[in-house]
Amino acid sequence: MVLARREHPTRGGQPLAFLVGLIFALVVGALLLWSSGDPVVDTYQRMWERSFGSADVISATFNRAVPLALAGLAVSIAAKMGLWNIGAEGQILFGATAAAGMARIGDSWPGPVLIVAMLLAAAVGGALWALGPALARAEIGVSEIITTLMLNEVALRVIRYLQNGAWKDKEGFGFPQITPRPPQAELGQIWQRAHLGVLIAVGVIMFFAWFMNRSVWGYELRIAGSSAKAATYVGISMRAKIMGVMLLSGAVAGFAGGIELTGTATRLNENISNGFGFAGIIVAALALMRPSGVLLVAVAFGGLQVGGLSIQSLGVSSAVASILQALILFGAIGAAVLSTYQIKLVDRKVAS
Amino acid sequence: MSHPAVELDGIWKRFPGVIANAGANLTVRPGTVHAVLGENGAGKTTLMNCLAGVYLPDEGAVRIDGNEMKFSSPADALAAGVGMVHQEFRLVPTFTVAENVVLGSAPRLISRTEINKSVAELAERFGFSAEPDRPIWQLSMGERQRVEILKALWRDARVLILDEPTAVLTPQEAEDLGRVLRQMVSEGRSVIFISHKLDEVTSFCDEATILRGGATVAASVDIHDVDSADLAELMVGESEKSTEANAERTTGMGDVVLSVDHVSVIDSRGLKAVDDVSIDVRAGEIVGVAGVAGNGQRQLTDAIAGLESCLSGTITLLGDDLTTAPPRARFGAGLAYVPEDRLGVGLAPKLPITENAVMRDYRQMSRGPILLWERAKEFSARLVEAFEVKVGRVEDRLASLSGGNLQRLLLGRELSSSPKVVVASQPTRGLDVHGVAAIQRLLIEQRDQGVGVLMVSEDLDELLVLSDRIVVMSEGRVAGVFDPREATRAEIGAAMAGVS
Repeated sequence: MVLARREHPTRGGQPLAFLVGLIFALVVGALLLWSSGDPVVDTYQRMWERSFGSADVISATFNRAVPLALAGLAVSIAAKMGLWNIGAEGQILFGATAAAGMARIGDSWPGPVLIVAMLLAAAVGGALWALGPALARAEIGVSEIITTLMLNEVALRVIRYLQNGAWKDKEGFGFPQITPRPPQAELGQIWQRAHLGVLIAVGVIMFFAWFMNRSVWGYELRIAGSSAKAATYVGISMRAKIMGVMLLSGAVAGFAGGIELTGTATRLNENISNGFGFAGIIVAALALMRPSGVLLVAVAFGGLQVGGLSIQSLGVSSAVASILQALILFGAIGAAVLSTYQIKLVDRKVAS
Repeated sequence: MSHPAVELDGIWKRFPGVIANAGANLTVRPGTVHAVLGENGAGKTTLMNCLAGVYLPDEGAVRIDGNEMKFSSPADALAAGVGMVHQEFRLVPTFTVAENVVLGSAPRLISRTEINKSVAELAERFGFSAEPDRPIWQLSMGERQRVEILKALWRDARVLILDEPTAVLTPQEAEDLGRVLRQMVSEGRSVIFISHKLDEVTSFCDEATILRGGATVAASVDIHDVDSADLAELMVGESEKSTEANAERTTGMGDVVLSVDHVSVIDSRGLKAVDDVSIDVRAGEIVGVAGVAGNGQRQLTDAIAGLESCLSGTITLLGDDLTTAPPRARFGAGLAYVPEDRLGVGLAPKLPITENAVMRDYRQMSRGPILLWERAKEFSARLVEAFEVKVGRVEDRLASLSGGNLQRLLLGRELSSSPKVVVASQPTRGLDVHGVAAIQRLLIEQRDQGVGVLMVSEDLDELLVLSDRIVVMSEGRVAGVFDPREATRAEIGAAMAGVS
């Protein structure tokens, strides 16, 4: 029995597969809730109400989806060339750190100027955090999976160092926390609780979805990702492509950190990313590594996270809430696999 | 009289669209090193896979020591005493030598020192120096191969199949391998040695069986009765194959367009794969490069295309020195290259047909950083039509094309830019009769339009029909230059075998 790639994915097969995956997850989840003595219907109802049930919660879900979508975009850009950026988490953290640094420099600048400067600094910071892994991969072939992953921890320590030292809030009553960003550096609300970052993220993602498909650069990236030898043969520099794609991926993730600092957060802290970088890998996978798909997936995922938090107030334990979220993800990932692959029963010997 | 160690009797093996073995026979006496010779695609590896339990033959019998066997897995074959060392090693890089040797066949409770000791003893018996504690990733290719051989010996293989064992070895390592093989056969084991390097066969082996087109053309030839030239002739065959191509010249030759001057290229083992080769190609001429595979042809064409760098010598295209120019500059200067590996080098299998069709010319189809896909689609539609590539839609994945269509697409793309020089490596290999004829016709058209063509092929018949000159390569050197109208197959075969 093998998984074979579908040559022609059936039309409408993907939404159908997701529906099946969702129903599967809800059924198993119901058994789980019932066995732990929690109210099944109330729990599901609460999850829905608190994620997509009203304009107010939908806007909160959108805010949650912004970093998830940008992190997913960052991962999917690297994946176009067969590279795994597992370091979006660290790049978000360092991007936010760079933005906070910019805010310290320009704390008297007018809001819009400061915000633009902070977002640019965030993108540069994210790219900088990806520079080491990019160089190591391009020049001597060190696996970017390991290096980007390890740098996540380093970025966290950088923030921890800053909040205990150089950037410690002098008016924080001795708490190890960083001075809040200037109040004018805040992205305004555009609809209910949703801030301007939602629009910016949509714009960035739509631009890259278009750019990766339509540009010479994106095309060369596809050749390089398909076969390094073919790329060399037509004169594409693999080194330049690896550097370019890793730095871009880091910049996008870092940008997400900047959006968080100017959007939902009021100061830089070590929870500013909250696992968005890792969740971004799942978002990219569910979007089948297509930049155009991350928006929708991120909104669904954001809703799932918001909803998962809300049911704990019903008395559902956080462990059960986590399992429930994981189940729904499993269902969705299984559906994603089955919509691009099919299970084939084959004679092993003929296949080999 | 004892039974033969191995007897393969009338083996047929068919794959979709290909007959790999067409009634092949092989008899191996115990205590001998037996060579299985043949050109690429002659069916050597398939036949051995039938013996080693990887494939089940469609027809024919496999007998080990006179008993008929039906192996349904390599484990079955191993249990019956048949071990195979594949071209691609199957070792766990992070495990030690001893761990790899005993993997899958160790007793349930094992002491590491015990195992290390017995593996070291086994190695010593066969004249290896093995360090059982070293991890595989630290070993050279030659050392890894010894671990593979030890794996088979640990399972007490009576018959050991080595698939092109010397391809990854330095000459010194190859010599060592010869000694190990002699030790094995002196214990009454048998070795089957797949190769197309004739000098090794004559120095290592006792008997040889030669395959051509999936069938046995000479069985169990005593190696002492023949020389390399005889073997080469048996491998390439004597029959005059018919070709649909019209090779009659219609135009004269012009000036030299491609000049390869005293070029040497180093391969990954640090050996000279191409050694002081000089070849001139004139406008309107087809120069054929003949030779047994692995004698430097690939490195030569890669060096001309800029995919390998030259150790010394110069490469001149239309009078310009391009020795150090990047691949794109050479293409721009009028060089088209059809690499030996169509899929993976010449074409990107995962991308759609259009994206493959414009891989050379996409920079002319862009406005600033944006690629104009409409133009790209028009271009690929024209290409597909002009070169009669049978496709569903140009948006389809490349993988949907057959071998002949892939090659037409690749050659068409390379020719569409009106090159002055075409370097084609094995352009007809693996194609059916129609595919071969179509590709040959395209190359002749180019010649008639005044393009200089350098064509590498292992098919001597093809070269004899198409070429104006044949350059024979052997061990990286030019072993002879022949006029195909006058040279005999025997002369060329002798040069291919390195006999001067």
